[in-house]
Amino acid sequence: MRYVTAGYTVVLVVLALYAVQLVWRRRRLARAVDRAMARSTGPLAGPPAGPATGGAP
Amino acid sequence: MWRDAALVAGKDLRIEGRSRVGLSQVAPFGIVALVLFAFALGPDRQLMAKGAPGLFWVAVLFCTVLAVQRSVSVESSDGARDGLRLSGIDPAGLYLGKTAAVAAQLVVLELLLAVGVILLYGARIEVPWMIVVSCLLGTVGLAATGTLYGALSAGIRVRETLLPFLLLPIAAPVLLAGTRIWQAAMAGGTPATGMQWLRLLVVFDAVYVAIGVVLFGPIQETA
Amino acid sequence: MTDDSTTATATATAAGAADDPSTAIAGTIGSGLVAHPPTAVAPNTGVTVSPVQSPRSRMIERAIGALALVGTVATVWLGIWVTPPDKTQGDLVRLVYIHPGVAWVALYLAFGLAAVSSLLYLWPRTRSLFWDRLAAASVEVGVVFNVCTLVSGSIWGKPTWGVWWAWDARLTSTAVLLVLFLGYLALRRVPAEPEVRARRSAFVALFAAVDIPIIHFSVNWWNTLHQGATVLNANLSPQIHGSMAWTLLLGFVALTLVFVWMLLVRYRIGVLEDWLGANELDLALAERHSEGSGRLDGPVADRPGAA
Repeated sequence: MRYVTAGYTVVLVVLALYAVQLVWRRRRLARAVDRAMARSTGPLAGPPAGPATGGAP
Repeated sequence: MWRDAALVAGKDLRIEGRSRVGLSQVAPFGIVALVLFAFALGPDRQLMAKGAPGLFWVAVLFCTVLAVQRSVSVESSDGARDGLRLSGIDPAGLYLGKTAAVAAQLVVLELLLAVGVILLYGARIEVPWMIVVSCLLGTVGLAATGTLYGALSAGIRVRETLLPFLLLPIAAPVLLAGTRIWQAAMAGGTPATGMQWLRLLVVFDAVYVAIGVVLFGPIQETA
Repeated sequence: MTDDSTTATATATAAGAADDPSTAIAGTIGSGLVAHPPTAVAPNTGVTVSPVQSPRSRMIERAIGALALVGTVATVWLGIWVTPPDKTQGDLVRLVYIHPGVAWVALYLAFGLAAVSSLLYLWPRTRSLFWDRLAAASVEVGVVFNVCTLVSGSIWGKPTWGVWWAWDARLTSTAVLLVLFLGYLALRRVPAEPEVRARRSAFVALFAAVDIPIIHFSVNWWNTLHQGATVLNANLSPQIHGSMAWTLLLGFVALTLVFVWMLLVRYRIGVLEDWLGANELDLALAERHSEGSGRLDGPVADRPGAA
């Protein structure tokens, strides 16, 4: 039975870890894209808004 | 296509003849591999004789990687690769030519390694023609797949580490078949088995040479 | 929920942004201070698609993820506690609810999808980087499932056959497939233009697709011809009926859904990475401009409120 537990645990843990990594990676990239887009339109919104927009994630 | 192939093969072999890299570097590497295998397997002569077929083919595989690397790097200087493409040489002919050149070099190496294996490991061959045919067929397969992957990785700087990694799993059937054929052809083997594996090698060669002839052009465009 | 709000704002800014082609760097420098957010767009091959995910696609992704999670939990619960042990294998049979599932995903679903996608990419009429990104996502997720297959198979094998590993055709082919997948991923890491990288990867995937059946066949032969070799039946074929059959089916479905969800997220990651990569230079330039308001003097930290 401990083999069964080991088998299930390994598969589930590996899948879970990979899933978490995917979500984290996607979140990080989406934020980078948002920052990039905001930054590029930021300076045009007027000086006060520019840096503020650029700083918001 | 065949004329182009002969042209390219002649060029590659002439380069090899002048630089003698194959002879002075790859061949000694093969011998070193055989010696290292002997160290690894220990002084038991029976064990070495039994393992001789496999060790021979592993050594050949390693030499193939080196030979293919050399075949690719010959063109990486002075924009020679672009020159080849611009020269209007039929890509299929280019593929066959390079494959033939690599195969020729490998055959010579295999001769050397075979002698080494017989002398160093005490291998005893009973059906010599099977050995010869297996080497020829295996060489074609290795050269065909090697040239294919060489072209695929031609423009890459990390080709030295990447090419073996990509090529060897594809070349594994040649190792399997070659070993079995040798085992069948040696003292204590069953020649009938060898025949079946020879047929597998023929199929393998046909498949990959066909793939190479058809796809070499498109592959070249990615380099 | 922060993710949704950022998606919303991004949608707003992207509405005007996504359609603007500004490919030349010179054009970007001039337009960096004008209302041209940098989006490098190449014609029809879809080098960069919009990095913003539509809310509907996000919803579908979430739904699949939820189903996958529920399905997996259900499978585990049924597999370990509800279903009965087998007559011959005892409790070990419980591994049949996950091992064949991950194996099917890794060997057939992921690999098959990668091969087909690669073919579709290479075929001129269907050429689009969508297929390339799909193939790459499929391979990466496939590697994870492949490792799960090998490990779960090995764990099942030890108490059943007494060995952690056997060189039978199935296990060997799975291992070789793993190596081929890893080769594919290694090749993709080499810096190159998206189209070049896509072609290279596609060829490698196709060659792998040709190689795997050959390997499988060879190893099978290799084993059966060798006298005295024990041909280990990886099937084991326990008697499956009743609740076991349903759980087995559930396992397959759940793991397939897990694969699909992972594929979707990984694909999205590919889109984002490609967009960021394509616009790297433009973004860096825009950032420079926004930092100093066009002036390149003075360190950023000195100015209050600087980005």
